Amino acid sequence: MKADSDKCIACKRCFPYCPMGRIQSFKRHEKIHGRVYIEIDQESCTDCGVCLRSNICPVNALFQQPETWPREVRGILSNPLIEFKGSQVPGRGTEEMKTNDVKGSFLPGEVGVGVELGRPGIGAYFRDVEKVAMALLSAGIGYELAMENPVTHFMSDKSTGKLRDDVLGEKATSAIIEGKCKLEQLPRAIEVLKKVAEEVDTVFTVEVISKVPPEGDVPIVPVFERLNVWYSINSKNNLGLGEPRFKFYSDQP
Amino acid sequence: MTHSLHRRGDYDSLKEDFVVLGCPATGVNKKGSAPKTQKFLSICYKHGPINLGDMKTGNIYNTTMDDILAKVTDGTIVQCTFDNREKIVSLLKDLKENRPGISIIISGVTEVVQQCMDEAGLGRIHSLEYSLGAWGQIEKLPDFYILEATTMCGHAMISADLVRKMVRDVKRGRRTAEDACLEMSRCCTCGNYNLTRGIKLLKKLTAHYMVHTLY
Repeated sequence: MKADSDKCIACKRCFPYCPMGRIQSFKRHEKIHGRVYIEIDQESCTDCGVCLRSNICPVNALFQQPETWPREVRGILSNPLIEFKGSQVPGRGTEEMKTNDVKGSFLPGEVGVGVELGRPGIGAYFRDVEKVAMALLSAGIGYELAMENPVTHFMSDKSTGKLRDDVLGEKATSAIIEGKCKLEQLPRAIEVLKKVAEEVDTVFTVEVISKVPPEGDVPIVPVFERLNVWYSINSKNNLGLGEPRFKFYSDQP
Repeated sequence: MTHSLHRRGDYDSLKEDFVVLGCPATGVNKKGSAPKTQKFLSICYKHGPINLGDMKTGNIYNTTMDDILAKVTDGTIVQCTFDNREKIVSLLKDLKENRPGISIIISGVTEVVQQCMDEAGLGRIHSLEYSLGAWGQIEKLPDFYILEATTMCGHAMISADLVRKMVRDVKRGRRTAEDACLEMSRCCTCGNYNLTRGIKLLKKLTAHYMVHTLY
């Protein structure tokens, strides 16, 4: 995102809308005497477009120029209006558990483990995304990446989690690593994430997906309790109303 | 895509906060899903959501319901936000009788969602996703009270500075809490922002902060 120096009047109205914080600076116009405009720090800006969409600029100075690779990954992951063609889903991630009732993406005994770097509201460079991806894939837990996820597409080596070198210096409002492993590997996955959390220069949120059995505990809950890991009172819940239903159990009607 | 998962807050703040999503599945029922998604939206609309939208088109506070319905295509994911448990129970009863055919997901307090499903005769939750919170350099995060407001938009389109500015505007009498929450809801394109909860949070925030400490 940029501000047109010939239009901008440095009114600062767009400042609070930026999820990345105060990333603007004041500049003196070289040709118009006494005129001040703002310059958006292109290194910090993730091209999410919220300042533009808010219509807060009284002189229409804000504009998003078309970006080329690798900068275009910022908008792909940060602007919710842009659809990543690889996942065919708007936004940063995949359908994950939302369609588990019809796709059977997470079977009994499997857990989805997602790590969203930069969230909430801090932003993340892909060099940190790479650190987490490589930690998960080198942990020997059989972590299986979601192939349609944008971050997976940016990997030069999907067996190690190594990202393309040209995206490492790019930044997104948030970027999700999505994948799954066996339930028995969940404690090790959590241990790995705790360790790599000390190495990244940002925050990340962790999410865990499970099929709920017809009876008894949700299998991931005893794991959290045994490891004394905090988990939320709120969750995302698939109601199982999609059609045609995926057959998870042999005795399922 | 977990934009309705990591909402911060305690039980009392979250127990009347639900995001209901309709999602077709690529490779299974996405082709020809537009009428099913429109049916899902229409059913939800009947039960009085506080917000509703599609991330590509916008929500009901920056466009119209007719526009959102008209722009639904195969694969569109829509979300409807509710501020009332009773509405969720009646919605679930309706969805049980009139299944749109696409996957339906509810983000909310797990125990409350399960109770609502039981009351609607839907049985157990099929699959779920828990948040394990934020890890790493959490000292970079704003205060918990600000996070309660910002995390209602999972795409982080409601900035911490915007919340601070809205609190300051309310404290200075420049806006009402309702106007401030409308402004924030416009930034959250998907329609996940719960205005009823937002107003309560903003009123709580105004008591917590002095004007000079804000944006």
